[in-house]
Amino acid sequence: MADPWIDAYNFAIEIAKKAGAEIRKASVDEIKISTKSSTVDLVTATDVRVEKIIIDGLKEKFGQNVYCFIGEESVSKKGACILTDEPTWIIDPVDGTTNFVHGFPFVAVSIAFVVKKELEFGVVYSCFEDKLYKGRKGQGAYCDEESIQVSDNKDINKSVIISEFGTDRTPSKVKKICSTMERILKIPVHGIRGTGTAATNMCMVACGAVEAFFEIGIHCWDVAAGAVIVQEAGGVVCDVNGGPFDLMSRRMMCANHVDIANRVIKEIEIFPSERDDGQE
Amino acid sequence: MSDPWQECMDFCVEVTKRAGQMIRDALEKDITIMEKSSPVDLVTETDQKVEQLIISSIREKYPTHSFIGEESVAAGAPSILTDAPTWIIDPVDGTTNFVHRFPFVAVSIGFTVQKVIEFGIVYSCVEDKMYTARKGKGAFCNGVPIKVSGQQDITKSMVLTEMNFKKDVERFNTMLANVKTILSIPVHGVRSPGSAALNMCLVACGSADAYYHMGIHCWDMAGGAAVVTEAGGVIMDISGGPFDLMSRRLIIASSRAIADRLVKEIREFPVGRDDQ
Repeated sequence: MADPWIDAYNFAIEIAKKAGAEIRKASVDEIKISTKSSTVDLVTATDVRVEKIIIDGLKEKFGQNVYCFIGEESVSKKGACILTDEPTWIIDPVDGTTNFVHGFPFVAVSIAFVVKKELEFGVVYSCFEDKLYKGRKGQGAYCDEESIQVSDNKDINKSVIISEFGTDRTPSKVKKICSTMERILKIPVHGIRGTGTAATNMCMVACGAVEAFFEIGIHCWDVAAGAVIVQEAGGVVCDVNGGPFDLMSRRMMCANHVDIANRVIKEIEIFPSERDDGQE
Repeated sequence: MSDPWQECMDFCVEVTKRAGQMIRDALEKDITIMEKSSPVDLVTETDQKVEQLIISSIREKYPTHSFIGEESVAAGAPSILTDAPTWIIDPVDGTTNFVHRFPFVAVSIGFTVQKVIEFGIVYSCVEDKMYTARKGKGAFCNGVPIKVSGQQDITKSMVLTEMNFKKDVERFNTMLANVKTILSIPVHGVRSPGSAALNMCLVACGSADAYYHMGIHCWDMAGGAAVVTEAGGVIMDISGGPFDLMSRRLIIASSRAIADRLVKEIREFPVGRDDQ
């Protein structure tokens, strides 16, 4: 049976690369920074422009009113992101804006496609590394043309975990984030790392460079594509409390194996964050 | 007047390229891990083989020179810095990254004469980026000049540091408290790439604005120190005093303003010295 979404998947790959090229071009010019919810929550004209390139490109290819969109820079400004059963693109045009502003080499375009609230495929283009990660439901995960798999290490004491500080500096949240890192280091693990972009971090799990990544405070557009890629690479994606992954919950845990996920989850100090869909 | 050490530097670049290739080849195969001082202090056969390659190649050409290499010191060689021309070598900086195939792994070599760093070479072998710096002649990445960001404002800065498990509870707690303090200044972000030498190069090329660390070694710092200095950056001791290669600690930054602010915020803990 033919894949109904194959054209959408192939176009996502093409538009991600085009968006990435635009980001690379913009990075050599001076970058004017604005802030969103706080002085460390950054956005630039490039974020906005690249999202427009992606959404306009998709509308031109498939028609103006065929699909729904949830994009960090456009739809998110209007309030809650409602995910319906309709085929929906979930887009982060520049994941790792702080990195982009500084020239720190991890910046990704993240594009996911959801139908009836099920993730169908995800594309993450790490544009300074020029690595395109992709995963189509049921068809495996790839970095460029090479098949990728999660790490086969099930020993937490030999694991590397990614943990990020995020952009919320509310003291009570910072305290919990730091306390969680302390607890993980004490397990002990081989180390804690961070690239500064959720989408790239998920690809690091998918290709086996680290065993797990979790974060509270991310948005659906940061993790939707990575979730497909991790699962298709043989990994697990769930909530930070061990329950099923909830795309709108602003939190996510992914790992190479359920045992590693469960062990890390024991150490996570959860704090509340407002859902992307505005629900309680 | 010709540069007495340029030939050493050019030779070093060639040896470093071969060392990097050895590391890339090893990444294709299975990696057997051993532990040094603790379960999180790793070493592999590759660390040892690469150091042997570097030292034997250099010794053949420069038989009177001295060496301080991470794996040789681990095997009992002294790590006292003398006035003699000395090669200070970390064959695989970022061994944990290497073991896991997390892409920041470097060969780091610093060359000192009369205890002054004459040149430094750091080769990020997965990225294929060769950072070089000759005293007084600027810093380069793959032949292209690099310089620090020049950022003066700590609240707009990207800070690098590493967080490792420490058996000593007080040191561990102080390390964590420092990260929390700096994050809360606030800074734009804190990142942990996992290789001291590459952290120094990320500051040197402007991708980050500061890096601080207590507990590393002279072989982690010697190569990068030249690169940062020649890229216009500031390098100093955690206390704000002059940088001391054997002190096992440092702060580097894109500006004096940022370095001074970090000195104010960071609480020290004892880490011993490499020459003790």
